[in-house]
Amino acid sequence: MVFDTLVAEFPYLLHGLWIGIQLLAGLLAMGLVMGLTLSVMSTFGHWSLRLFAVIFERIFRGIPEIVLLLLFFYGVGELIPMSPFVAAVIALGLRSTAYQAQIFRGAIQSVADGEVMAARALGMSRLATIRLVVLPQALRRSIGPWTNEYSSELKATSLAYVIGVVELTRQASYIVSNLQGNTLTVFAVVAAMYFIVNRLGNAGLYALERKLAIPGFEGRGSES
Amino acid sequence: MSDTPILSVCDVRKTYGGVEVLKGVSFDLARGESKIVIGPSGTGKSTLLRCINLLSPPDGGIVTLDGVRIEEKNINQIRAQIGFVFQEFNLFTHLRVLDNVRLAQRNVLGRSRQEATRRAQKELERVGLADKFDAYPAELSGGQKQRASIARALAMDPKLILFDEPTSALDPELTGEVVQVMKDLANAGMTMLVVSHEMSFAKAAADEVIFMEGGVIVEQGPPDRMFSHPEQARTSQFLQMITHDHQYA
Amino acid sequence: MTEFIEFGRTWMPFLLEGVGVTMGLWAIAMVLGFCLALVLVWSRVYAAKPIYLLATLYIEVFRGTPMLVQLFFIYLGLPEIGIVLDPFTAAAVAIGLNSAAYQAEYFRGAIQSLPAGQMVAARAMGMSRFQALRDIILPQAGRRVIPQWSNEAIVELKYTSIAYAIGLTELTARAEQVGYETFQFLEAFTLVAIIYLVLTGTVAQLLDLLERKTRIPGLTSARGKME
Repeated sequence: MVFDTLVAEFPYLLHGLWIGIQLLAGLLAMGLVMGLTLSVMSTFGHWSLRLFAVIFERIFRGIPEIVLLLLFFYGVGELIPMSPFVAAVIALGLRSTAYQAQIFRGAIQSVADGEVMAARALGMSRLATIRLVVLPQALRRSIGPWTNEYSSELKATSLAYVIGVVELTRQASYIVSNLQGNTLTVFAVVAAMYFIVNRLGNAGLYALERKLAIPGFEGRGSES
Repeated sequence: MSDTPILSVCDVRKTYGGVEVLKGVSFDLARGESKIVIGPSGTGKSTLLRCINLLSPPDGGIVTLDGVRIEEKNINQIRAQIGFVFQEFNLFTHLRVLDNVRLAQRNVLGRSRQEATRRAQKELERVGLADKFDAYPAELSGGQKQRASIARALAMDPKLILFDEPTSALDPELTGEVVQVMKDLANAGMTMLVVSHEMSFAKAAADEVIFMEGGVIVEQGPPDRMFSHPEQARTSQFLQMITHDHQYA
Repeated sequence: MTEFIEFGRTWMPFLLEGVGVTMGLWAIAMVLGFCLALVLVWSRVYAAKPIYLLATLYIEVFRGTPMLVQLFFIYLGLPEIGIVLDPFTAAAVAIGLNSAAYQAEYFRGAIQSLPAGQMVAARAMGMSRFQALRDIILPQAGRRVIPQWSNEAIVELKYTSIAYAIGLTELTARAEQVGYETFQFLEAFTLVAIIYLVLTGTVAQLLDLLERKTRIPGLTSARGKME
């Protein structure tokens, strides 16, 4: 009986998962672009940018995700109406920006000063130095911590539930309320689905890290 | 051509953290000349080099490259004409050796990929690294890294090359290969300003030895005169100390 | 702007009443997580293979799945097998169980970052494993873990808002109530956001103070090795 229910409802769960993945992709992309820009600008630009970055990060890391989601959907939504999905992408995207900016900044600062000096001594402009010497190394070093960010945001997508985004968790709750009973099973399956997507993502990122590794350098996990 | 010196350093001053490290240093470097700056540690010798290409802008004085004043305005073009060899090599660790030598040629000088490759290979062969084009810096020994970084500087066709303690970070048995490259360069007519305590270079290839102490030039002159009859007492004290150490080494 | 201040003055007291629930929930969850984490750490570091595997499974599951799903599992799912919990308890249990997994990993990292010689020296002097743990390992590992533990504590403080999803009247729910009352959702949620910022900021400062007060050169910083 349980099994039949599961099989019948599974397509709905998959659809919810698909929505969740789109949400994840959107917010991670936003966080990547904005976070990278913010980290470069705050490291190499005017000190006021550094201050802005600190404040931005403090705010978006100090407020719970749920409050951010509600703030954007119900709050900002008063002024600019937006769909729950869009509100979720923006709210979680801004938060991811704060976390990713920190990741990238740490990686940028780990690139040796000496190499930056050498590039400048050769006559390379600041922009060229950042593009050709700093970023290629910083991005490689970011992959490890970024994997944690991926896992963290995947779990955060479930919170979009509270503003009505029909991602995996909300789908599950619809199913559970429609058919009385089997709650434990449904949520167990849902948990497993998140678990698998998490593992797949981690494996992919780890493979990427190995593929891009520079010979002579230790991988993640070793310390100098 | 005119006989303007390639490099003209005039009354350069620099203060670091409250301490005046350079107290008005002046000298010239003519085309094809090699000069070596010696002196006790911490007397501002490295700072002097960094003041020349503005990696560390001086607080006073004027530096001129081939008649053009060196200032922030067009610093990238100026730096492209001045080679700099660092004590810690500072090769780009994410690029293979060939790419290290090609990068600035393409990005700063705008050379084509073929031209940059050709020059890179030529300079790497010149410093004895013909078999290391595809290696990553992490795979090289210290001496090889330094020679690669000299090739990187040479490929830019600089008017002069600054050497900042090029052998200080090397194990003793590896300094020889680097010093040999430097001697060959000097003898081939490259204009060089070297901060180092490699006396063998001073004796074999330098046109003039500049002795600095306390942020000023105490004495300067041709190597044979400086080593045999220095005029200042401080100079002979320092030289005795250096050669004394070398005897024990 | 002045309207916002007016709004704040009117509604802040009502919102602040929710802080008690939030902090209470947080404290209970952290304590529960802490105790369970100690058991998990022991299982992962010193226990036999089967127990080690069980603990590992627990940690993988709780770290690898969303907390909201865990909460629903406990609040909506457990009644199926006869365990009915009120929202507050369900939330405390869920957050606590989740936190235990993270705290356990941080403790394990801190313990394993100590040189192996510490335990060996303690045993060589005749201490039992328990004594060595209590007097030698934990005081050191405890100091090393503070930065990560602080981070975890603040994360869980923010996660108390999850109880909103099962109807608990904590801070976030109160903000929603104010919103429905005044239709000024933006102002209401901004106020609550500010409250959370103050809460997390204060907790962060206090834990930072703790870190500084208990610091030992060479153990928690590199200075001892530099000289």
